[in-house]
Amino acid sequence: MGSLFSNAITLRKSVGITDAEFVQLRDFIYEKCGIYVDIKRKYLFESRFSKRLSELGLPGFADYIKYLKFDSHKSEELARLFELVTTNETSFCRDGKQLEAFQDKVLKETLDRQRKAGRLELNIWSAGCSSGEEPYTLSILLHETLRAELPRWRIGITAVDLSRAMIERAREGVYGDYAFKTTPDDIRQRYFTPDPGGWKIKPEVSRFVTFQEMNLNDPLALKRVPRSHIVFCRNVVIYFDDAMKRKVVSAFYDNLLPGGYLMLGHSETLHKVSSSFKPVYHPGTIAYLKEG
Amino acid sequence: MAITPLDQLTAGMVLACDLKSEDGRLLFRGGTQLEERHVELLRRVGVTGAEVEPGPQTLGPEKLRQIEEYVRDFFLYANPDSPPIIAMFRMALEMTAEAVSRGWELPDANTRRASNVEHMHDLFLRGLGTPETIVKHETELASFPDIYFRIRQVLEDESASAERIAKVVGTDMSLSAKLIKLVNSPLYGLPQPLDSISRAVALVGAKELSILALGISAINYFRDIPPELVDMRTFWRHSITCGIFAKILAGTQIGLSPERCFTAGLLHDVGRLIMFKKLPYASTEAMLFARENSIPLVEAERAVMDFTHTDISRPLLEAWKFPEELSAMINYHHDPMDYPNPQESAVIHVADCLTNAVEIARGGMYVVPGVDERAWELLGLDAEAVLNSAAGQYCEQIDTIMEAFF
Repeated sequence: MGSLFSNAITLRKSVGITDAEFVQLRDFIYEKCGIYVDIKRKYLFESRFSKRLSELGLPGFADYIKYLKFDSHKSEELARLFELVTTNETSFCRDGKQLEAFQDKVLKETLDRQRKAGRLELNIWSAGCSSGEEPYTLSILLHETLRAELPRWRIGITAVDLSRAMIERAREGVYGDYAFKTTPDDIRQRYFTPDPGGWKIKPEVSRFVTFQEMNLNDPLALKRVPRSHIVFCRNVVIYFDDAMKRKVVSAFYDNLLPGGYLMLGHSETLHKVSSSFKPVYHPGTIAYLKEG
Repeated sequence: MAITPLDQLTAGMVLACDLKSEDGRLLFRGGTQLEERHVELLRRVGVTGAEVEPGPQTLGPEKLRQIEEYVRDFFLYANPDSPPIIAMFRMALEMTAEAVSRGWELPDANTRRASNVEHMHDLFLRGLGTPETIVKHETELASFPDIYFRIRQVLEDESASAERIAKVVGTDMSLSAKLIKLVNSPLYGLPQPLDSISRAVALVGAKELSILALGISAINYFRDIPPELVDMRTFWRHSITCGIFAKILAGTQIGLSPERCFTAGLLHDVGRLIMFKKLPYASTEAMLFARENSIPLVEAERAVMDFTHTDISRPLLEAWKFPEELSAMINYHHDPMDYPNPQESAVIHVADCLTNAVEIARGGMYVVPGVDERAWELLGLDAEAVLNSAAGQYCEQIDTIMEAFF
């Protein structure tokens, strides 16, 4: 049988990147945002960046690296670069077991402590919030937990992400069916309204959440985040190397109020990264306690 | 698939599966293209209908473009200038177009994601289990099929006679049946089917047959993997495909045992099975991570768990006292050149990559991991010729061999 495909179809579609160029680009990305890219992903990078190169009319990666470093548009380009190096896969209520343990143990304990101290306030930092599913889920959990008590509380959820596009989408708060693959139906009915684009988060949920574009590799920016009772950072540190992991985790430690908790993704751990936190084991998750 | 009634069967149609008469006799094998005389025969023996493959549709330029885009996604991680990768890309294009023309629909983005396994519990939290402790937990808990040890014993005994080997293998009925089916499959191209283990020993060789037997007996060990996590048929189909390719590639090399390569191909991902058992949640996270980031599973495992399935297979095969050369092929299939005598692991390495490529046309989810340049050079193969012929043989053989095993 003859081929259905033209012989002109080639596998290579993009301009090549040399090892030296790759290392330059990799180091640049690492310096800017702490994301470490293994050289094994070189070809992946070639194809991912080639569209951007041709949009800019640049013939090769050497020119692109120069553009990133010296062009007058370099700060806008940096935002584009961050879009290209992050993937954003999440859904509402992702990892139900962990959230359950969080709600029953960590959140309950924290709320009780605040009540006892007579300070009805709670700050949560959602670091690496992608398109907003996580902080909105947390706001929904608070609605479900506090119910009638809710109006007396001062709640602030600071949600940050490296990607500008993600932050814009998060602020919009409209989600397609895929985002609800792990969400019970009644939750969707209660906290979302139908929208031409899918479902829109209700204002009473979104009013607790403040979104900001933020680079976790920027120590000054991290210092501006309000001190938190709880930090959520799930499926983010997996993209960092050990040095960057340590840096970010120690920033979380500094940000947390004494008695506060850090929550990581299901298969993430502070093992080998930090010994400052005390791991507290619950079925389905580990919560990392800042003692004090 | 629907049954086409006898009066609508015409010459040229292809049987979708084996066709049996009412009393269970095999009339024609699946894949047979019916001729006028076949239809006549069916009428005579009173067959009322048969399942036939849908006729191929012609694909328009837009469909071909979609197929190209779909297939291309699976090659993003590999070197686009590498001759074997280019050959695999073209092969995957043709096979995917063929599948689509027969009615297969290209999976969309959502169906390409893992199912929800939120209820899964890992036995080890990350950082608390090393490959060694995980394997220890497994090997202390479950015991290996007795037949495995008996075969290993004969294998280790240089003086064991062919009869003794035939006798040991022959004590396990289900194992013997599988071996005989395997040797009778097109993979061996025997002019006449054989019906006894002693004939198989005579034909394939005593040592070779016991190595095959060893591999097949190991499969039985993994019956309790949660089906929601990974479809075991898909897993073993991947393994058998890799075995077939490994055997074919071994045939192109001087001094390699095709049986040994087949067995290593069959078990090359055995470490992954232990991961499924002990770390189901992390395994799923790794699968998702691989798909989201267009990276091979092995890289995703490293990111999510800090170790890979070959880090698991290493202590596992040691605990099972697996023959060393076989273990090396399995343990080094992702980095063949790290082994001092890399020719055999290079075969498994290329076979695994090829397996990923042919799986694209069947809804495979993972990118082609890429072929190590030095490993490819070492095998000294002509990419286009060898890989296409291997893929052709795979298409003819895989269903029969799957059936022999499951």
